Amino acid sequence: MQTSIIPRFRMSGSKNRILLAFGLLAFLSGCGYNPVYQTTGAVMTGYSESEATPYVMQMSDANMACNLGNSLDPLVYSFGRVTDKPDTTGSLLQLLAANCSEAQAWEEELRYLRANYQDDVPTAKDARNAEKRWHALTAERRLKAFERAMRAYEYDPSDPEAECPFLYADQDELTYLLGLLTGLQAIINDTNSGGAAGVPKDIAPQAERAAQCVDNEKWGGIPDAIRANVWLLLPDTRPAMAPDPWRVLRHSSELGVKAGFRAAMALEVVAAETKGRDDIIADVIGRFEASEAGFDVHEDYRLVDEVGRSVVLHASDKHWTEEYGYRTPRTYFGQMSPNSAADAEVMDLDSLL
Amino acid sequence: MFRKTTAALLMALAVAPVAQAKSASMCVFDVIGANGDVYNLMKDYALEMKGQGVDIQLKPYTDEGVALGDFQSGQCDILAATDIRIRQFNRFTGSISAVGAIPTYDDLRTVLATLAQPKAAKLMKEDGYEVLGITPAGAGYLFVNDRSIDTAGELAGKRMATLDYQKDAIHMVDYVKATVVPSDITNFAGKFNNGSVDTAYAPAFAYEALELYKGVGQDGGIVDYPLAQLTIQLVAKDDAFSDEMAQASRETVWGMYGQAMALVEKSEKNIPEKQWIRIPDKDIQGYQEMFRENRIELRDGVNGAPEVYDPKMMALLSKVRCASNPGASECTAGNRE
Repeated sequence: MQTSIIPRFRMSGSKNRILLAFGLLAFLSGCGYNPVYQTTGAVMTGYSESEATPYVMQMSDANMACNLGNSLDPLVYSFGRVTDKPDTTGSLLQLLAANCSEAQAWEEELRYLRANYQDDVPTAKDARNAEKRWHALTAERRLKAFERAMRAYEYDPSDPEAECPFLYADQDELTYLLGLLTGLQAIINDTNSGGAAGVPKDIAPQAERAAQCVDNEKWGGIPDAIRANVWLLLPDTRPAMAPDPWRVLRHSSELGVKAGFRAAMALEVVAAETKGRDDIIADVIGRFEASEAGFDVHEDYRLVDEVGRSVVLHASDKHWTEEYGYRTPRTYFGQMSPNSAADAEVMDLDSLL
Repeated sequence: MFRKTTAALLMALAVAPVAQAKSASMCVFDVIGANGDVYNLMKDYALEMKGQGVDIQLKPYTDEGVALGDFQSGQCDILAATDIRIRQFNRFTGSISAVGAIPTYDDLRTVLATLAQPKAAKLMKEDGYEVLGITPAGAGYLFVNDRSIDTAGELAGKRMATLDYQKDAIHMVDYVKATVVPSDITNFAGKFNNGSVDTAYAPAFAYEALELYKGVGQDGGIVDYPLAQLTIQLVAKDDAFSDEMAQASRETVWGMYGQAMALVEKSEKNIPEKQWIRIPDKDIQGYQEMFRENRIELRDGVNGAPEVYDPKMMALLSKVRCASNPGASECTAGNRE
């Protein structure tokens, strides 16, 4: 009578013990409940949010960051099957992965421009086709990033009356803001892919409304730069009393330099490209380079600045490739042509000859 | 008869490619060889020239003397080396590095832009050789193992690593009553670092690349005054390139000025602030006059000085200095260069 259930099993041999272990596992998984997975999921998503995200945002190696998005997104987001969907981290991981595929699209775009410069039509066509494929993939990733960010903060962008979400910490504000930015970029990528990804165009007015939920100055002019971009794309969205979008963009860029991350400048160059304003493209590239002197990057958002730089550098590379057949030489970033002797003061040589 | 005709044909064939110069070989001196900044710059130069129809093959040399020898023995058509070595081919361009003659990088920019003009082409040719481009390698600074050596007077009795083929430097070292320790580019750094000399002069580049920080140590420093502007110059036999191609080459090299200066600026920034020895403005004025007097001696070959500097270059550099700093006493001096 004193013997408990456990000693009884012990006595019944090893075969029974194995059976019991399998039985327990089958019982737990049968109920769709695996405490180890769930705990791991909670640890993983918690760690990603509290440690990995701030760490990645401080990185200056945008290439490594994008590869992190590529490789970790399926793992981290798969925990959405056993616990709550990790939408905040999931949004950032898709955003990073999209930077990887966009870099590929940019390379193909430069290859197309080089081939065009050399009048090599088949290569130019091939590069354009490859570029479109990468843009389609980028658009899909960015759309996911946008949707996850909105879901993470329970914000329904399609509701014109939606109230601003409750953003607890700076990291939440940034995730939400980058989500909006990514949504806007998704439209541009989709257009460049020839509409292959089917990104809904109404993201643009949604992002315009949603951008008003975060402080413009604190976030280096990004919110207003998003709004001005949308105004230029869809003039109807511009409020009656709103200032000229180009002025807003320029001011936002200045705020970005002050804040220590120049993402607004990237948005200014994107707007100028969309509208075919070569004068503004040249001006932004020049201002970006000039801002280097005495620029203090915000330590916590170094990655945001780096990604901003890559956008401006690509704008410069496109111009150089189109005009001269090669990308911007390192020391020429900031100018639109190779300098010549005419740029420097010269002395009269008559008395020496 | 047949043999004569063949010989004549072969001669004609041999001469023709040289005159047209569709391809050329180039001996490039770089202290760290094919992975160095100069060699890398020359790779860009070769690519630019290819765009203009000339195929240039580069060969790296870590010993400048050997590069010079190979150029002289005809093993390469073009030599890229420091202007001190180029002096023997063109005294005018070889005098850019005259002591204290170009006090700022702004002045250097004006000088090099002036020389890249088509009008300057005549000055690029001398005794069957032609200079095909000039690019900055950085100002030469005085490296000392003791920070108390911060005036010319303190140099008296000190041992200084001096390039044995640089006659103007030897004259200057004698002038400040220091001791010449004959050296070359490959061994001066070792001498400075192991303490067998007290001072050496070199561009900022050498601080890291040749580990001059070892010799500088805790007590030494780098005097923040450009003793001379070192340049890398390209020289070839006069008939290697047509006049048009030679001018295109000079303009190509001038176009790379920004790239070369970025390297110079980077090397100078790599020297920690605390290692620089700043000297007061009033001392600088004194040094400028001291250098000027020495330049005149080295131009005219008087007071025991060898005749090293070209009078035309001295006049040009004086003009550049007085354009940027018209108030300097030399600009109203009776014996202006």
